[in-house]
Amino acid sequence: MARQSKISLPEEELVRALRNREKIAMEALYDMYSASLFGVISRIVTETETAEDILQETFVKIWHSFSGYNPEKGRLFTWMVNIARNLAIDKLRSKDYKNQNKNQDIDNNVAIIDEQRNSVYKPELLGVKELVETLKPEQKTILDLVYFKGYTHVEAADELGVPLGTIKTRLRTAVQQLRKHFN
Amino acid sequence: MEDIKAYIESGILELYVLGDVTQEEKLQVEDMALKHPAIKAELDEIERSMELYAESNSVGPPAHLRDRVLNSVLTNFADDRNFDTKKGSEAPDNTVVLSAQRSYNFYKYAFAACLTLLLASSIALIALYNQLQQSNNQLAVLQTDKQHFANRVNLMDHELSVFRNPSFKFMKLKGTVRAPSAVLMVAWNPVNKKVMIDMGSMKMPVNDKDHQYQLWALVGKKPVGLGVFDMKADSTDMKEMKSIASANAFAVTLEPRGGSATPTMDQMMVIGQF
Repeated sequence: MARQSKISLPEEELVRALRNREKIAMEALYDMYSASLFGVISRIVTETETAEDILQETFVKIWHSFSGYNPEKGRLFTWMVNIARNLAIDKLRSKDYKNQNKNQDIDNNVAIIDEQRNSVYKPELLGVKELVETLKPEQKTILDLVYFKGYTHVEAADELGVPLGTIKTRLRTAVQQLRKHFN
Repeated sequence: MEDIKAYIESGILELYVLGDVTQEEKLQVEDMALKHPAIKAELDEIERSMELYAESNSVGPPAHLRDRVLNSVLTNFADDRNFDTKKGSEAPDNTVVLSAQRSYNFYKYAFAACLTLLLASSIALIALYNQLQQSNNQLAVLQTDKQHFANRVNLMDHELSVFRNPSFKFMKLKGTVRAPSAVLMVAWNPVNKKVMIDMGSMKMPVNDKDHQYQLWALVGKKPVGLGVFDMKADSTDMKEMKSIASANAFAVTLEPRGGSATPTMDQMMVIGQF
């Protein structure tokens, strides 16, 4: 498997190498985070080809605007995933994509299912199923709406018909549940 | 300290990590994080959790995408170095898509094959129908022929029975001065009174449309009309004339069409006496 030859670096090292524009850093970045980012992107934009394009745009943008990343303000992944989510959501809301999406036929769906079956499951993530059970359904719904579907918490409140305060509380308890689970 | 706890519990930090805050709120959170290590630590915990959540929901992009993405990054950087293609990074995940395409193609080809088969069957059917039609026609012709031959055999049988019957008397009527070469065979059966003439061996001048030959029997000195006939080149059968019980001579005269009551003596063509 090609997975064996993946390049992995500690985050500080990675950030330093990226600042120095080292090519190996970009490879490491891709190997370490492409699956996580692609997971988020392909849940927002279900059409495989478009999701792949967005992943590409995401890395190009990361490379270009890396000077804008400040480790003081947050983790590298948080910064990257927000770039990916914004690109995906922009695409999702563009007129172009909406039109194109109408023509999606069954072949594409087969491809999407195929892609998703190729998901990378890492040994340390064997608890994914338990994780899903850890979150209450309403916690998972709100978390996925905001994280994977690109809703703002205001839109999510509207969609679910619950007060804004409740949305925020649920979101917080959901994240705390995750913290408990991952610790 | 209570303020910090309330701030943490408001949920704003989660929204900040999710990128769902206004510019003002963003600056405020960053300011608070700088001032209060507890908030910074809380933020870090939330980030780690979301990162792990994303990791647990990860989807491996197709292998071929790695080179595409990395090369496009370098191209954008105006760098002509290319990333090495990883060993074994050939995309194996095209197989399902291809097989889906193939099954789609299968139906296309199956449909085309059905259409071709239908066309071929139709052509074969039309050809067969034409042949059947032809055979039917031939059969009809053959049946007519058969009927014709059956009739002919019946007729010949009938004629043959005349020649085989010993009670028939045959007489050759010979031409008169009007028609020296004329000949007519007459068969007469005194038992059943039948009179027949042989049209096949008859040699007479061809009569016109207004005239017909009339056969006469002389009973004593009295002529009795036995019916009319035409001289046709293609007649082959024997013609049965009117019956007569006794006669000592037969003669044929040319009469107006339909025959006359008494013979026109100067138009006598052939005559024969017993």
